[in-house]
Amino acid sequence: MSMRIALLLGSTVLSGLASMPARAHITPPVVLASDREAVVRLLPAATRYFVREVRPSPAEQNAIRQQTGWNADDDFYRFYVGRTAEGALVAATVFLSEFTLHGPLRVAVAVGPDGKVTGASVVEVTEESYTWVKPVLDSGFLQRFVGRDARSAPAQTGDVGGSMPRFYADVIARLVARAATLYEVTMPPK
Amino acid sequence: MREMRLSQLPPSGKVFCTLFLAGIGCGALAAFTQAATAVGVSPAAVRDSLAPEAPMTDLHHGQMSAEKEIDVSQISDTAKVFIRTPLLIQTSHTHLFGQTLIAGLLALIFLFSSVGERSKCVIGALPFAGTLIDIGGMWATRFVSPSLSVLVTAGGTLFALGYVAIAVLSIYDLWFRKEHPV
Repeated sequence: MSMRIALLLGSTVLSGLASMPARAHITPPVVLASDREAVVRLLPAATRYFVREVRPSPAEQNAIRQQTGWNADDDFYRFYVGRTAEGALVAATVFLSEFTLHGPLRVAVAVGPDGKVTGASVVEVTEESYTWVKPVLDSGFLQRFVGRDARSAPAQTGDVGGSMPRFYADVIARLVARAATLYEVTMPPK
Repeated sequence: MREMRLSQLPPSGKVFCTLFLAGIGCGALAAFTQAATAVGVSPAAVRDSLAPEAPMTDLHHGQMSAEKEIDVSQISDTAKVFIRTPLLIQTSHTHLFGQTLIAGLLALIFLFSSVGERSKCVIGALPFAGTLIDIGGMWATRFVSPSLSVLVTAGGTLFALGYVAIAVLSIYDLWFRKEHPV
């Protein structure tokens, strides 16, 4: 192979490398809490734990879609249900994710027997998105959801500083609304 | 590859090729460490992160819900990343582009080594094959059978073996094979 051909081949490969969109690369995940930590933290009054797995029917999926615009099309959803020693329902925690351009964001949301959110926690982000999510978490944003149900207006995010923190505040708000709706539709109060 | 050999490159070419191989080696080590900490490199760890989540209850096909009591210790306490389909798509496209381009540059250097044409074909193809088996194995684990997670480990190993063989043979040719510069 002549030097000229080698240089041509090399430049072709390098130009391919250079044209790769750097923004498409996802930074490594940052796990803020394990599932167990999140469940225990969000169900503090529970002394017994149950797993309730639900598979939304087409009608339930449709109801969720109409209410939130979200397609709940996973095979099943898992609620970690906390109960008292006597068996009374404390709350149920579900984990939901949204995949953004910068990678996944995963939240745990606890919903009480009345369908109102009792707590929420961000459990997984990425190195890149953490810089935008951290100020949102530090501002106590997650507290805004406590006491809201699936039909409450979503938390206002207009006062969250910066476009990217606001973007992630919106993502978190959507996930909390989906969790509350999933609970309301698939685990109606008995 | 009759007209030019790695051993005949001028010093600048030798330095650049060596630095490239060293840089890719460091990158591969960092990638291995990242994979080991975020997911794990054993087939079992890959299966845990990639295979569809199995119900903890006896939720059968067609059944709408099921519930059972658990001990809190049964809830995962590991900081493991669960790779779901959207993340698998993102991971696949970045790694297929990135690793194939790296494999291409490694092969380009290796083209000028002094090993025989047959060995060149086999060794030079290892990083390409490893990449395809690695990423293909992720999809197979998720959509065909969790037992195919072994492909991910095998693909990564193949890529690493190819890199090591190419780097060792090329560096030998670059610095230790005695030939006159062109």
